[in-house]
Amino acid sequence: MSNETILEVDGLKTHFYTEQGVVRAVDGVSFDVREREIVGIVGESGAGKSVATTSILRLIEEPGQIVDGEITYRDLTIVGFEEQDDGTLTPREAMLSNREMRDQVRGNEIAIIFQDPMESLNPVYSVGHQVTEFIELNRELSGGDARQEAIDMLREVGIPEPENRFDDYPHEFSGGMRQRVLIAMALGCRPTLIIADEPTTALDVTVEGQILDLVKDLQTKYGTSFIWVTHDMGIVAEICDRVNVMYLGEIVEQGPVDDIFHDTKHPYTQKLLESIPRPDRTVTELDPIAGTMPSAINPPRACRFHTRCPDARVACTEVEPRFVAVGNDADGDGDEHEGEHNDHRTACIKYDDVGYWDSVPLEKVGDRDIQYVGDRS
Amino acid sequence: MTLLRYTIRRILQAIPVLIGISFITFVLVNALPGDPVAIMLEGQEVDQETIEAVERRYGLDRPFHERFVTYMLGLIQGDLGYSFHRDMPVSTLMWIRLGPTLLLVISAFVFALVTAVPLGVLAAKRRNEPTDHVSRIIALIGVSTPSFWIGIMLILIFAVWLGWLPSGRLVYPWRDPAHYGFDGRLELYYQTIRHLLLPMVALGTLQMATIMRIERSSMVESLQEEYVQLARAYGVPERTILRKHAFRSAQLPIITIVGLNLSTALGGAVLIETVFEINGMGRLLIQSIQQLDYQVVMGVTIVLATIFVIGVIITDISYAYVDPRVSYGDRD
Repeated sequence: MSNETILEVDGLKTHFYTEQGVVRAVDGVSFDVREREIVGIVGESGAGKSVATTSILRLIEEPGQIVDGEITYRDLTIVGFEEQDDGTLTPREAMLSNREMRDQVRGNEIAIIFQDPMESLNPVYSVGHQVTEFIELNRELSGGDARQEAIDMLREVGIPEPENRFDDYPHEFSGGMRQRVLIAMALGCRPTLIIADEPTTALDVTVEGQILDLVKDLQTKYGTSFIWVTHDMGIVAEICDRVNVMYLGEIVEQGPVDDIFHDTKHPYTQKLLESIPRPDRTVTELDPIAGTMPSAINPPRACRFHTRCPDARVACTEVEPRFVAVGNDADGDGDEHEGEHNDHRTACIKYDDVGYWDSVPLEKVGDRDIQYVGDRS
Repeated sequence: MTLLRYTIRRILQAIPVLIGISFITFVLVNALPGDPVAIMLEGQEVDQETIEAVERRYGLDRPFHERFVTYMLGLIQGDLGYSFHRDMPVSTLMWIRLGPTLLLVISAFVFALVTAVPLGVLAAKRRNEPTDHVSRIIALIGVSTPSFWIGIMLILIFAVWLGWLPSGRLVYPWRDPAHYGFDGRLELYYQTIRHLLLPMVALGTLQMATIMRIERSSMVESLQEEYVQLARAYGVPERTILRKHAFRSAQLPIITIVGLNLSTALGGAVLIETVFEINGMGRLLIQSIQQLDYQVVMGVTIVLATIFVIGVIITDISYAYVDPRVSYGDRD
């Protein structure tokens, strides 16, 4: 895994300024994507997964705004701020303009596949026309060549007789076929990175399996990197190389898929894994995560998961968790040797020497005794 | 091919509709109070025999159903009856009067579409900005102001005070320029436009306002569609998104509203023709009702209804043309 890093997201904050208050949808998220790998972003609905990926393309709409952080794609600054003398943040000069984003990044370097294939294609234009249009826009191909390329890509994603289906309209395709069309559209632009925002959620399970197989094949063939957004740990296990677990606008655990599954650290990841059905285990009832995700307008202080965490202690409500490396650093010297890595990190104070173990479990204290000192800001 | 079959079927379906309309009109016109023969012979000393002779001549002595069948048989052959008052066949009268009304109504829709569509798109693009607020206020005023009042105000301002434009009557572009004493075609067309401007705006304002409101909301909705987001994510310029990706699907409600509003426009033409002294179908209708010229009232109603039905058919066909999801109703 010595592939070059192509995308780096560092401390990204995307907030929405609503009448009810500031929604901290993404609140300090860092991860990276390397060449030829599939990186998962997993979490419940409302965790901020889609907002994080939409921020990468800078397609956040009012009242949303990227307020802090850095996003670097190769040597391009997608998002970058510098602090002024008065402490305010202003966009750095190196940050791409909207026009540069449009011409240099969107489509030709980073493409996207949306969740709902029913809504992602324009009902009044033929499928072939739409695929051709995006290919022509993002690659230096003339009309005729772009059309041929579109036909080839449609064949590649498994549309039978693409020449004959070319002029058909989206409503004449099934959901699975439409999602294949969207994959053809994305790959046809030859991007380095494709953001797949829950692309199989709207499909039934057998079709989902076919699409996952298809993506794995094509990913190997074209060497494209993927950011795969999902709420399904099963999909993560199947196709991702590395994964970021998101909860309420923050990443709580990240690392290689094997580590996340077999050496789970964060209680939230643990609960996520427990809540998926597994054919290899006999369980009478699934164990869902208690409660619902709190509002991102006024998130719980310190560790945001403490309101639902089975392991929460008083310290969890007081100490802001840091990211700590929990990789299989076998000899404990902090360096990577053969067979070791420090990629696995988690933001839980259990693994940080900040007094978790000396603290009283939260359930013994009861809610009313917790002293909240001000609001986190 | 399917579109052609669809068109033919829609035309065939219109036939029972038109028969129904003819029947209802026939009943209503016969139920009108007043005696046409008395009005026809008004001011003359006549005896009972003459009255009966006139009734026989126009078939008024025969029972209702017989008269209806006779009328319908005539209608199929293009015979709309005879105008007592104007002493000419109704069908001839229709040919003379239809032109001005169509000219007025079509130009009003052209004016409405040409102004409302770009304004609506702009308002949707600049949603909640000053452009949007101003255009929405204009639309609200347009929707809530009666067209005859707009007509009177336009005459007052542009014809009476400023003297820029003529206050009434139309110049017909299909007439011989010599008829008006003009030098040639070019001057004829120029004068046509000058004369048409005020009634066109008066009649078209309501349509403009209605279309603008719908265009705006339809575009706002369309701009939030996922396929528009996708186009943005693939680096399509905002201009192209507005003109192409969001635009086409947003026009479907506009097509519907233009088709349906043909009825309000034809109704509005009655008033506007009266205000601007245009000798079209609308003015003819008013005069004929006053004169109890039954055959003409019948004729105008049926012709206007036919225009409306044709308008609806054209709407359906263009809808099917723009939206590929519309099924042509074929079973294959």
